Amino acid sequence: MRILELKGVNKSFGGLKAVEDFNLSIEEGGILGLIGPNGAGKSTIFNCIAGVYPPTAGEIYFKGENITHQRPWDLCRKGLARTFQIVKPFSSRTVLYNVTVGAFATTGKRAEAERRALKVLRLLHMQDVKDVRASTLTIAYLKRLEIARALATQPKLLLLDEVMAGLRPTEVDEMVKIIKELRESGVTIFVIEHIMRAIMALSDRIAVLHFGKKITEGTPKEVASDERVIKAYLGEEYGTA
Amino acid sequence: MGRNTIRIGPLVLAGVIALGLPLAVRSATYLHILVLLYLYAYLTTSWNLVGGFAGVLPLGHSAFVGIGAYTSTVLSLQYGISPWIGMMIGGILAAIVGVIIGLPTFKMRGAYFALATIAFAEGIRVMVENIDNLGPIRLNGPRGLQIPPLNTGLLNFMFATKEPYYYIILFMLAGVLFLTYAISRSKLGHYLVAGGEEPEAAMALGVNVARAKLIAMAMSSFLTAFAGTFWAQFTLYIHPKSVMSLDISFEIAFIALIGGRGSIAGPVLGALLLRPVTDLSRIYFGGKLPGLHLIIFGVVLVLVMIYQPRGLQEPLTRAYRSVTKKLFGHTEAA
Repeated sequence: MRILELKGVNKSFGGLKAVEDFNLSIEEGGILGLIGPNGAGKSTIFNCIAGVYPPTAGEIYFKGENITHQRPWDLCRKGLARTFQIVKPFSSRTVLYNVTVGAFATTGKRAEAERRALKVLRLLHMQDVKDVRASTLTIAYLKRLEIARALATQPKLLLLDEVMAGLRPTEVDEMVKIIKELRESGVTIFVIEHIMRAIMALSDRIAVLHFGKKITEGTPKEVASDERVIKAYLGEEYGTA
Repeated sequence: MGRNTIRIGPLVLAGVIALGLPLAVRSATYLHILVLLYLYAYLTTSWNLVGGFAGVLPLGHSAFVGIGAYTSTVLSLQYGISPWIGMMIGGILAAIVGVIIGLPTFKMRGAYFALATIAFAEGIRVMVENIDNLGPIRLNGPRGLQIPPLNTGLLNFMFATKEPYYYIILFMLAGVLFLTYAISRSKLGHYLVAGGEEPEAAMALGVNVARAKLIAMAMSSFLTAFAGTFWAQFTLYIHPKSVMSLDISFEIAFIALIGGRGSIAGPVLGALLLRPVTDLSRIYFGGKLPGLHLIIFGVVLVLVMIYQPRGLQEPLTRAYRSVTKKLFGHTEAA
């Protein structure tokens, strides 16, 4: 079943076309990677899907329902969660409090919300820092906190926006392992990432975005050997070499 | 000594002291000062629902005090309705006005929101000051309304001595503190904190930030109006300058910022610290240096913002925890 489908999505900011005629579909239970140079429009696509702003044109379907003009909080309750590239923790509060906010999306009771939050923290190996104030966490933990909060909402589809940027190689490996575990638990994952090693290891399929347009899509192997992708990343002169 | 004893013990102690205080304090002046202290602790705690948890800085709560005071007073003077019922109606009216003010202003950020709330509150005050009769309702413009002290008794919310007022405001304060405690642990409390700190992240986590803020604003203005009715029945004379002045809004904000916004103990702590300054400076320097207390507040606020930006509540809580830990070997989670 297709859990997410984007049909002809366009997004302009004034005269700037950030995303042009973007089509994509994700099968339930898979991991899809989205790569592209800086400013290609990756986060813009995430923001359109998550309801931060509607696309200028085109339609977005989630579990078969047209969600093009729905607001973020409604989408979250329907099972679409996301993380932010620039982490946004509730700094003055503890890790557990942060995750409990997410858990409240599907329950009204505090005891139940906290129980779920603790479960998610255990899953992400964060139970040791549960009483630590979020403002004092390292970037690796902050990125993981982003995932923990999103997971606590019990999503069907999780949008991960560069959760590995700024991590040390050992931390990247750990994160890859965590994301694979998440998929095993039945969450479909749509991930933006710059670290090629990680995204190649993770994704079933990869879509490549360049100047707001999708230039190719395929398995990690196909994409890595695609001439257009190499050009987009390394410049024109490398393509002919 | 269990965990709960450490947590509840001081509360019980404070409660017993508060209940017994009128037995020790026989001077009407000092009882008056205490009533005002509780009143401001009550006002600031009500304000804290929006100004503390939701992370915005409303500076127009004087409008709700005025709405509460005028509603119950007009109803009792002209229609013979008990101030207790008037208090409820005033609360509902204030909640409606609060939502009307909140709808357009919650989209604004930081200082712009504060300025907009000041504008609304001042607008309402100037209106009341210039209206003698609003249809059948007599507001009496700047001269205000006097409540003749004829029928004392609980039903009429009117007493010849200060002790009953003392206990009423004490129970109101205890009630609003308990409500704040319950909210801070609820879904709404979490949503307010989340929406106040990182609205974008909160929205992505299923929080309708605007709605949570409006609910908080409605509750806050509802409770604030109660203080207006209390103030009217306590002084038996209200006029726009006494119940709608911006000074009230500013003093609430001072108390909250110095005590600690967004915490439960902060407003009480702030009131304990600042109210005596207000009253004592008024008693001893009122003739020579009017407004001295505001200068002192300013200095204290600057110092607190530099050294304890989260209010005095934080270092005191920490000190209290380390003392109990040393005494009983317990650690408490935050």
